[in-house]
Amino acid sequence: MNPRVRATLTPRAEGCDGERKGGFLSPSIRHQRPSYSREDSMKRIWRVTLAAVAAFAMAACTNTTAPSDGGTGTDDDIKIGTLLDVTSWDPAQADIGFDGPYLSAVYDPLVSLNEDSDPVPGLAMSWKYSADRLKLTMELREDVTFSDGEVFDAAAAVRNLEHLKAGVRSGATYANVERFEEVDEDTIALHLKQKDEALLYYMGLGRSWIASPAAIKAETLATQPVGSGPYTFESNTSTPGSEYVFTKRPEHWDDQTYPFATLHVLPIADPTASFNAMLSGQLDVAYANATDIPRAKERGWNVAADVATWVGIQFTDRTGERLKPLGDVRVRRAINHAFDGAAMLESVGQGAGAATNQVFPAGGPVHDPSLDDRYAHDMDQAKKLMADAGYADGFDVTMPMSSIFQPWQPSVEQTLGELGIKVAWKDLSPADYQKNAATYPMFVAVLALDSNPAASMDGRIVSEQWFNPNPSTQDFPEVQKLVDEALDTTGADQLPLIRELNEEITEQAWQSVWYQADNTYFSVEDITVTPITGMMFPTLRFIQRG
Amino acid sequence: MFRFTIRRLMSGVALLLIVTSATFFLAHLAIGDPTAGLLGNSATPAQRAALHEKLGLDRPLFVQFWDWFSHALRGDFGTSWRNFQPVSDQIALRVPVTLSVVIAATVLAAALGLAVGVATGLRPGGALARVLKLASVVLFALPGFWVSLVLVMLFAVRLQWFPAVGYVPLTQSASGWLSSITLPAVALALSAIVMIAEQLRNGFVEVTKQDYVRTLRARGLSTRRVTLHVLRNASPAALTVLAVMFVGLLGGAIVVEIIFNLPGIGQLTQSASQIGDIPILLGLTAVTVVFVVLVNFLLDLVLGWINPKVRDI
Repeated sequence: MNPRVRATLTPRAEGCDGERKGGFLSPSIRHQRPSYSREDSMKRIWRVTLAAVAAFAMAACTNTTAPSDGGTGTDDDIKIGTLLDVTSWDPAQADIGFDGPYLSAVYDPLVSLNEDSDPVPGLAMSWKYSADRLKLTMELREDVTFSDGEVFDAAAAVRNLEHLKAGVRSGATYANVERFEEVDEDTIALHLKQKDEALLYYMGLGRSWIASPAAIKAETLATQPVGSGPYTFESNTSTPGSEYVFTKRPEHWDDQTYPFATLHVLPIADPTASFNAMLSGQLDVAYANATDIPRAKERGWNVAADVATWVGIQFTDRTGERLKPLGDVRVRRAINHAFDGAAMLESVGQGAGAATNQVFPAGGPVHDPSLDDRYAHDMDQAKKLMADAGYADGFDVTMPMSSIFQPWQPSVEQTLGELGIKVAWKDLSPADYQKNAATYPMFVAVLALDSNPAASMDGRIVSEQWFNPNPSTQDFPEVQKLVDEALDTTGADQLPLIRELNEEITEQAWQSVWYQADNTYFSVEDITVTPITGMMFPTLRFIQRG
Repeated sequence: MFRFTIRRLMSGVALLLIVTSATFFLAHLAIGDPTAGLLGNSATPAQRAALHEKLGLDRPLFVQFWDWFSHALRGDFGTSWRNFQPVSDQIALRVPVTLSVVIAATVLAAALGLAVGVATGLRPGGALARVLKLASVVLFALPGFWVSLVLVMLFAVRLQWFPAVGYVPLTQSASGWLSSITLPAVALALSAIVMIAEQLRNGFVEVTKQDYVRTLRARGLSTRRVTLHVLRNASPAALTVLAVMFVGLLGGAIVVEIIFNLPGIGQLTQSASQIGDIPILLGLTAVTVVFVVLVNFLLDLVLGWINPKVRDI
């Protein structure tokens, strides 16, 4: 027992002040106060306690949510559960990943994407490239005003683009843009330093949200969004971090695309909590865990899914500078053959995705299903390739590991072990993983996919990224030749070259891709979600009735 | 009493300075360069370099510390590295959520723990005392997340009496607020109820054996009056447990906040840790230490009131 507790017992026991005043045997005390037995005391305690608990329960039981088969029960309302809270309401500081539902409520984009991820008009009604594709001219809508009354025009568009180019998170999209020009009141031009075939795609993905220039100037956007979007943010009824409420703006220029009068977006990080919220009728749409798909189907919910990330091993040392064996394509091919991607998809990925060894999205215009057998699981072939390369006894490698990637760790250790490759794991915090993973010659990776071929080529193969600090294309003449040719062409002419590039990097075992993992969304019966590869959560135009 | 109060406050301030300073260096040591985590998968080296410079991470660590510390002394904890908004604003949004749940859980635990503790203390060998013993074993053994999930499945999904997720501020709707914190508070309070009841029962049984209790009874005091005297002397252990529990719940509410999707400081701590948002982590550390110091201070005051001897310790 706590010594302080013991110390209290005796002194206070002698301090029965009230009784002392009354006298030891004062009959008045005994007569003035009713006598309570031990049973009476217990009954009183229980009565008070039960009454308090009952009152608390009655007051608290005010939940009037809708039917148990999901749905908020109101035709005009929609409640969307996404994975993460909004990063920032300022489009220049926001994240493309999960900020889509929030930002698409309050802002209109210059460029949108359609269901095939092709750029379609937003506030820019049309656009045209110059012959050398170094000037992109956009014609703007004329009938748009921001929620603060400011008018949208070329000056506003240019002010926004400059703001986005200067943004820490949005700036990369406009890295190839030299300057923005206000041609006339409703026309702007983007002058490019070099050709950028992915620019319109990235703008449509979430890098061209347009805010009121007054709000940009006031530097208040991060907390008080002011846009021309289909909804206005209701800060009074919203609870940051829990639920964001939006009401539809009357006479929005794209009114038909947004059928819901009131919109609620709830960031719910835990998939189980999200599923429970669907079950209890608190959500109409939820970011989902693939393990819950059978239960969702039992309830008659719609299940939408599409590939969002590739999962496998990223090689960062294809030239063998730091780890000589990786410079030999036979070793990289052996590693590709050794992994049973389909089995890993089933066991770790809950079967939600596509077993493929390519980094271009399955089902997309570049992905070639016939290449998926190029590295069919074959341990004998893998061992033969290792022996041919002179590594029959394997080699030692140090790889980083963090809690996020632990589900794959046993498979990696066992599979590489069968090839004689002994892995020494270096534990890192999740935050540190991104900083340090690429400093190792190879590491377990889960990396986002892009649906646009040019963006995929640039982001996954050509340009320097945290996961690909040394693209090393110049060390592979065939790869470099195809990259150069693809960069020299455009549109329909570019696609066959990117397909060839995909074939070549598959042949070169550029990565060891095990599978592409889905992002999954549940929605109640009368609402559909169209997943877009590249958006971790689709923007509102992809959430419709029907 | 005045010296006692000043002494406790001074030690609290010292604790605050030591813990936050240690957190600063440990966080920088553990997280290193957070720019990749903050910018996400698609960040280019150029973007990371720009953010590195913007956050002032290119300065010596001690310069960064003094910058943070001198501002913190003036109540300015800087801006979040994730969304560049003031840390104090973001914590101010989250603290009421966690405090709502933790205070409700503490009140619930205190009320029910008191009732059960006194009831079983009055009849140590009774059926309720045996149930309490069993309940204390069971509730300690059950993981908090499991209890939370059972409560959600039963009261939110099946009966639909309470919401499964979310938080409604008290300023928006009193009934909505109560409804949104009930299940989380119950989930947090369950094991605490038996813990407090056990402490109180044990104290009750100990104190009841004291000579002065027999004297009080011999003087003809009613059972209620005697019970109140016994309760006052039996309560310090339970009060200490209650205070420790409150502090523990502040840090441990994270599981409940995730399951019930409450935007409290637990969730903020988790997300800040994942992406390496050090200013937020430092702000949260400072706030948590302040609460710990305050609760311990209040506990010391109450214990000092009950037993003046402890004021000299």
